[in-house]
Amino acid sequence: MFVGLGAVVTIGVRNQELSQDRTGLAELPAIGQEPFLDVPLECVEVVGRSLLERMIERFVAIGLERVSILVEAKAFQRIPKFRTAYANVTVKVVRDLYPAVTQELANYSQDGIGHSFISSANAYAETDLLDLFCFHREARQAATRAFDKEGPLNLWVVDCAKAQRGDVESFLNDAGRDGAPKYFIRDYVNRLTHLRDLRRFAADILRRSCETGPSGKQVRPGVWMDERAEVHRRARIVAPAFIGCASKVKADALITRLSNIERDCCVDGGTVVEDSSILANTTVGICLDLCHAVARGNKLWNLERNVTVEIVDPSVMRFSSAPRRAAELSSERIAAPEATAALPKTQMPETWQFNSNLIQE
Amino acid sequence: MPTRAPVIVMELPERLNHAGAKSFLNELEPLLQNDHPSVVLDCSQIQHMDSAGVEMLLYCLEQAMKRDGDLKLAAVSPASAVIMELMRVDRLFEVFATSDEAVRSFQLVAPAASLQTQPWYAPAHGLTNLKAAS
Repeated sequence: MFVGLGAVVTIGVRNQELSQDRTGLAELPAIGQEPFLDVPLECVEVVGRSLLERMIERFVAIGLERVSILVEAKAFQRIPKFRTAYANVTVKVVRDLYPAVTQELANYSQDGIGHSFISSANAYAETDLLDLFCFHREARQAATRAFDKEGPLNLWVVDCAKAQRGDVESFLNDAGRDGAPKYFIRDYVNRLTHLRDLRRFAADILRRSCETGPSGKQVRPGVWMDERAEVHRRARIVAPAFIGCASKVKADALITRLSNIERDCCVDGGTVVEDSSILANTTVGICLDLCHAVARGNKLWNLERNVTVEIVDPSVMRFSSAPRRAAELSSERIAAPEATAALPKTQMPETWQFNSNLIQE
Repeated sequence: MPTRAPVIVMELPERLNHAGAKSFLNELEPLLQNDHPSVVLDCSQIQHMDSAGVEMLLYCLEQAMKRDGDLKLAAVSPASAVIMELMRVDRLFEVFATSDEAVRSFQLVAPAASLQTQPWYAPAHGLTNLKAAS
């Protein structure tokens, strides 16, 4: 464990919440007053795990003493879900982000944690975090901000004691200005501000353009399947592709060109999914063409036309109703691991194998 | 010179659901009973379309083709285009940016010129040369 170093990860209403740089505000598509997603983008599962979880994995991997996730109540009322329960990761739903960050840094300081990373959950960067910390120490400054070729990133290393001396918002925004040393990242970065970035992230993971990989097992080169995923023997999966946990791909369906089907989805017979992401709990009906799109429930966002449509016919697209309860419960995994342990597990026949068993109706 | 029936341009309703499609079809169906019906459906007003609407379009196309006519679409919004793509019917229709363009497209093909009097493998189609080359 890396004693004396922690991390605060924030999930705000706006993904640029921690900075005055408002150029990249989230512009999620909406239909009328209803947003496309009911969770922040960084909490949406992409190729098996959310971007937030992938970021936490990186912090945990370098052995930080403590990682705190602060979720602004306006952004998300629930605790984000993780596949793995981490002992030193805590999640708090807070009313206001900045006072909560200040309080968290004060707690760190009291507990002997001298330095902390601060990051917006949507600013995913595959940089060497310890190198960033060493840079910060050598620069002898109160806060060091990371930059990439597109400009400042919402990733800092701060001195916990010095961060409490004034307003934390201006403290963070001043980092890297007026000739102060900046830390440049040349590795993979994704600022998750739009569904387009989500789709790009999925494609990058499947293409292995970034370090973080798909969940589940690679059943053949480039095809990943998560637990309890079922693929009909007459369905075709063209690599690279991902079939999520407990999802079904029925007869004569085709999943191709960097497509990802997330957990508890169903792609019905004869449907083609091409260059698309089907988000968790979505059922896509028979004999459809889903191309260049992100689908969630009965909503569809088309990348090429940049338009969102709501499908009224449940036979065409809908939420998969049954697994939603399980998904909701799994979102409480950190707070109450014993509750998830009590969840009844769906018993699937052990004979289910990729491309070799018929789906039983 | 052979004559053609005039091109019929009709505007589709805002809501192309079951009820909207049914009432629209009542208006359009008598016009589809003519010989060589040439129909342009202006989609610019469509705000909502579901599978009943798509089914109605397919039915109209089928009726027009039965009588050696055609049905073309104009001013299809991106949202309608996405739904038609999703349901795999987009490739069945000729789609134009405006109704005027769609109407002009009917007039471009003179029936006499389009008549194919020779088999497709006739020398005019270049197959003889291909055979000679092989």
